[in-house]
Formats: sequence, C-alpha cells, structure tokens
Amino acid sequence: MLTLQLLLNGLALGAAYALCALGFVLILNATGAVNFAQGDMVTAGGFAAVALATVWPVPGVVLLPAVIVLTAVLGLVLSAVAYFPLKSRPPVAVFISTIALGIIFQNTANVVFGPEPRAAPPLLGGGTLRLGEIVIGSQSLAIVAVAAALIVAQYLLFARTQLGRHMRATAQDRDMAEALGVRVNAMIALTFALATALAGAAGLLLANVFFVTPTDGMNYILKAYIAATIGGWGRIAGAVLGAMLIALFEVIFPALPLLVPLPAGAAWVFSQTVATIVLYLALLAILFWRPQGLLGESARRRA
Amino acid sequence: MTAPVSRQHLGRPGCLRQAMPPRHIIGAFGDGRFWAISALVLTVGVWIIAMKNTLAFVIALLGVIAAFRTLPAQAQSAGPIEVNIPVLVPITGYLSLEGQSQRNGALLAVKNAPAGIRVRAEVTDTGVAPEAAVNALERAAGRGPVTAVAASMLGTQMLAMLPVAKDYKLPLITVSGTAEITQMNNPYVFRFFPGDDVTKVAHVRYAVEELGKRRVALIYQTTAYGQSGRRQILEQLGKSGLAPVFEDGLEVQIRDMLPVLSKAKAAGPDVLMIHLHSGPTALLIRQAAALRIGLPIVAGSAMHQPPTADLLGPGELRGVCAEANASPVSGGSPGIERFVQQYRQEFGMEPDGFALGQYDGIMMVLDAIAKGARTAEDVRRALSTMRYEGLAMSYRSDGTGNMAHSAVIMCFDGSSRTPRIVKRYDNITGALSN
Repeated sequence: MLTLQLLLNGLALGAAYALCALGFVLILNATGAVNFAQGDMVTAGGFAAVALATVWPVPGVVLLPAVIVLTAVLGLVLSAVAYFPLKSRPPVAVFISTIALGIIFQNTANVVFGPEPRAAPPLLGGGTLRLGEIVIGSQSLAIVAVAAALIVAQYLLFARTQLGRHMRATAQDRDMAEALGVRVNAMIALTFALATALAGAAGLLLANVFFVTPTDGMNYILKAYIAATIGGWGRIAGAVLGAMLIALFEVIFPALPLLVPLPAGAAWVFSQTVATIVLYLALLAILFWRPQGLLGESARRRA
Repeated sequence: MTAPVSRQHLGRPGCLRQAMPPRHIIGAFGDGRFWAISALVLTVGVWIIAMKNTLAFVIALLGVIAAFRTLPAQAQSAGPIEVNIPVLVPITGYLSLEGQSQRNGALLAVKNAPAGIRVRAEVTDTGVAPEAAVNALERAAGRGPVTAVAASMLGTQMLAMLPVAKDYKLPLITVSGTAEITQMNNPYVFRFFPGDDVTKVAHVRYAVEELGKRRVALIYQTTAYGQSGRRQILEQLGKSGLAPVFEDGLEVQIRDMLPVLSKAKAAGPDVLMIHLHSGPTALLIRQAAALRIGLPIVAGSAMHQPPTADLLGPGELRGVCAEANASPVSGGSPGIERFVQQYRQEFGMEPDGFALGQYDGIMMVLDAIAKGARTAEDVRRALSTMRYEGLAMSYRSDGTGNMAHSAVIMCFDGSSRTPRIVKRYDNITGALSN
C-alpha cells in the first residue's frame, strides 16, 4: 500500500519536474544555449497563481490558462532581453544572461511577494482520498493528469501542426530552416514562450502542495539540468524520463527500508542526506559511463 | 535609511539597573548643554579681554578655537545624539523570512528610539553566503564610526562575522539560535533570542514532562541551524535518560515528506519532534495531517512565525505545539500588544518572536546610549553588564553574550491560526539570578 502511495507522490513530483525539464530542452534545442532562468519561470508560475488567486479566488484549474499565458509572455520578454541581443555571441553569454535575469526575477519576487512561502490554490479542491490504508492527495492525482495532458499537447503541437514542424525545423538546423522560408526568430521566440509556459504550469501545480518562495528556482533548474543529462542532452523524451527517475528516486530511495527487508543497522544508508549523495553519484556515474545519457544525445553542442 | 527620532515608546521603558561607569559622565550632558554653556563663558571672557588688549584677544580667541576642536563632535551642537547601527540581515535566500523579521524589528526599535537620539540604520542584505555578511560588515565599519550592528541570524554568517567584529570592536546584536556563536569566547556578540541550549530545554521538557512522551521521533534540518538544534535535543533527551526512536535530517529543498514520515511512524514513536526551517515545517505538518499520522508534534521556533501558520489550515495545526522566545500575536502584555499594533501599521504583516527579539536588542542598545554610552566599546560594556527589561523577557548576559534565558511553548487548538501560550520556562540558565 505504501509503495503505491510513494509511487503516486513520485509520479506527481516527476510530472512537475518533467514540465520544467521539457521547457529547458526545447530552448536548448532551439538556441543551443542553456536557459538557467527556467527554474525561476517555475516560481513565476507559482507566484502568478498566488497573485491571481488573491483577486480571483477560483480553483487552480481555472487559473491555469491565465498562468500559462502570463508565463508565455514572460518567456517572450526573456528571449528579447537574454537571447536575441546575444545570439551571435558564444552560448556562454546567453547562459550568463539567463542567470542574471533569474536573479533579477528572484529579487523582484522577493520585493513584490515577500520572502515567506506562499501557497497557490489547489487545482480542483484540496483534501485526500482514502482507499483502505492508502491516503492519496487529490492534488497529486490532478498534477499527474494535468502534466500528462500538457506533455501530450506539446507532443501534438510539434508532431501534428505546421507551426510545430517549423519549430522543430528551427531546432534541427536554423540556417536551413531560414533558407526554406521559416521565420526563425519568431520560432525561437515562440519556443521560449512555450518553454516558460510549461514551467509556469509546473509552478502552479507545485505551489499548492509544496508552496513557492522566490528562491525555489535554483532547485528546479538543477533538477531540469540533471534530468536532461540523465535522459540525453537535447532529448525531449529523455528530459521527461530523467525527471521521472529523479523524482521517483527522491521519494522511493529514502523509503526503501519500509519496502524491502534490509539487514539491521543498514537503515542509515537510506536517510534523506544519503539519498541526495547517491543521486549525484548516480549522475556522475552516468556522465562517466554513458555521457550521451540514457536515450542518447541530440543537441548540437553542450553549453 | 535614517530613521526620524520618535518620542513614542512601547510598553514599559527599558531599564538599566546598574549605574553607568564614571567615564560616561559626558553622557550626562549628552545633549551638548554643558559644552554650549562652557563656550558661552569663554566667548564672554574673550569679549572682555578684547576690550583691554588686542594681543590678549587674539590669544583668547585661539584658545576658544582650540577648546572647540577638542570637543566631541556631538557636543559642539545642541542637536540629537547621532548613532550608527547598520542592519546587516538576510533579506534574500532561504532565511529571508526570518531576516525580514530581524530587519523590521530593528527598524521599529530605531523608530522608537528614546528622545534625543538620532539613529542612522542602513539596511544591507547579506543573502545566505558567509562572505557576503563579512563584506557587508567590513563596508559598514569602513563608512565611519559604528555604534552597534544588527547582525544576521544565520549561524554560518555569524560565525564568519565574529572575528571581524572582534577586530573592529563592534557589538553584534543578533537573534541567531546557533549555539556556537556564543561559545567562541568573543565579547562582541549579544544574542537576544534564546539559544538552542535554552529553547531545546523547553522543547524537550514540554514533550517529556508536560505531554509525558518517552518515544521521540526527531526530524531536523541538515543546515547549521538544524544540526545545532539536534545536538541540544539529544543532550536534553539524554538528561532524561531518553534517546530518539527515530531521527533523520532533511535538506531544505526536500519537498516530499512521505518517506521520512512513513519511516518515523514505523519506528513507533509517541511524539514527533521537529526542528526545521519555516517552509519545511509547514510542508511536514501538512503532510503529517494528510497522512493522519496521529502523533502530537512539538516543533521548533519556525512554527511560531505567522507566515508558517498561514500556510496551513487550522485543522492541520490541531495538536501542534512549538517553542519560541515569544509569540507576539498571542498577546500577553499591553506592551506586546502595542508592539504588534505598530508592527502591523509599519510593515503590514504579523510580527514573530525574531522581530520582537531584535527589537528588544536594539532597544537595549539605544537605552544604553540614552544613559551615556557613546562608543561601540561603551555599548559592549553596557550590554555585558546590565540587565534590561524588554517586551519579550528580561535580558542579561551570561558572560558569553547570551542575553535571553527564557522560552515559551505555544500550541494551536485547531480552531484558528493564532497560537496560545501554554507554558513558560523562565531563567532556564539561571543567568538572571546571578
């Protein structure tokens, strides 16, 4: 029973991480540069939901479209300020400019919303569902459902629409796409908007269960970066897989003493602190033995 | 910022019970009247002499100029006493909530400075990096005479700032709970929040003596704050012949508490003792309520902060208690109620015990100045020896800079987010009796 509960919690956390990592990889593929403000876009989504809920106290699912639009606009601003003026410079320039914008965002959020943790409204309604011994957070179920819907929508956009094809063409070969008449800059700006909208949606999903503070972004970008590395640098499916693995590891590993019989005295190995150490050791191992990630690398170059 | 002088004062006025040392006699004329009268006498003398002899006039005039040049700066005018108290606190980073309380408490004290004292209190954000705090302190010290510093409550920053404060001879007024900061034999640190060696006594004694619990599950933060609290909790449990049946440390960014709560519950505890920062405290309590873990929770001081309680529903808070230096929103005295009212007006939020502790600390500094202290060294000496009746409690140094020796336990009854103080532990260290 506990296993099921842990799996659901891990899936919910992983789904939200996946939205952030997905956006991270979309921008990476479109521009060849790392957007280090992606984690801060997650917190932007959380704060947008908090702000909207104060003037319009409705369930999070009603606020979700507005949050997506707001964070998409933020993505356009991000591209205009941090990418386009520097696009002819080495990728490290964009990397640094996104870090700068992220810090600006953190401090702005600190001034506007204050440093204290804030909670966004639940997607549908708070509370838990009790199935026998299992307690399932209704928000966790809603997070999995909404994140899955957004990931599928993103897939359909890229696979089934002309706009998506243009965006993919831009990501694959910018010069060729431009030669074929694709408006490359518009596609890159749209990619930024889509990526930050996904992060914003993740922010709304996470901000009810796990709250939101101005400095949470660094944690999320680290998770996105590790997810992209584990899954395969530049691989969209790899980012989702990596995010799920990280979240499941975070939730399941410390609880292993409750799930499998272990020798006496071995429980300390499964403390939260050791879990973090093991996660990063696993990352190092992947970098060492399978640097292309689990699904292989597709990005043209690493930042 | 430079705060305007205000005659408004909250509650009972602070009281330095010991007379100031004789060298502070100048302070008895702190408004400059003594020097103004002296200058007038000298000027009249010069005028009389000038009527008789030009040479005598010139000599006397030079004497007057020389006399004025030897006077302290503030004595040359009859204006307010100018003091400089930089506020170096973490406004950003994971401790920004507590840092904001520190800043607000310090600024409110500056606003309520006794009549005749003008305080320059420039706020600098120290973030969470030790080097940022050290740089801020060095910059503040380099900008001119500093009377005292409202210093970061982040233990690692305090540990880094202490040697610098000793070099510059600047008293640091803090509410940091990290035990080590007053164990370094540094005479320039003054902690106006009970250290873990006080609060954890209350924390453990309440769980063991009042609730009658013997099987403790301990969950703490892996930061310096959390480790310090853990050590003290284990020590206090040891004094009762107890050891936790479960313990685990959490990093600040851990989001899902299900694993740790499940493991804690599996160990069969009869009480959950937690020592976490604000956000993780709320996360753990919310998830414990969702799991219907069915254990009383005795939390660390983060739980007494109103923003932490605001994250939770009253139902989720049922059965949760916490230690703190004070719980201003719970009231308790007319002075505290006036403090809460003014705090709300100034900052539009609810005050916590950190704000009140920092307020009391700066008020004690200002009281020492009002009673004659002029330099940082005077303030250090006053804080080292005097007793002060603050709003939260009585303060007196135990010889190492620990000024606060009392703690309270507050509990939520499940009907609101405002806790009720259920137990006071006064003078735990015995320092107030010496």
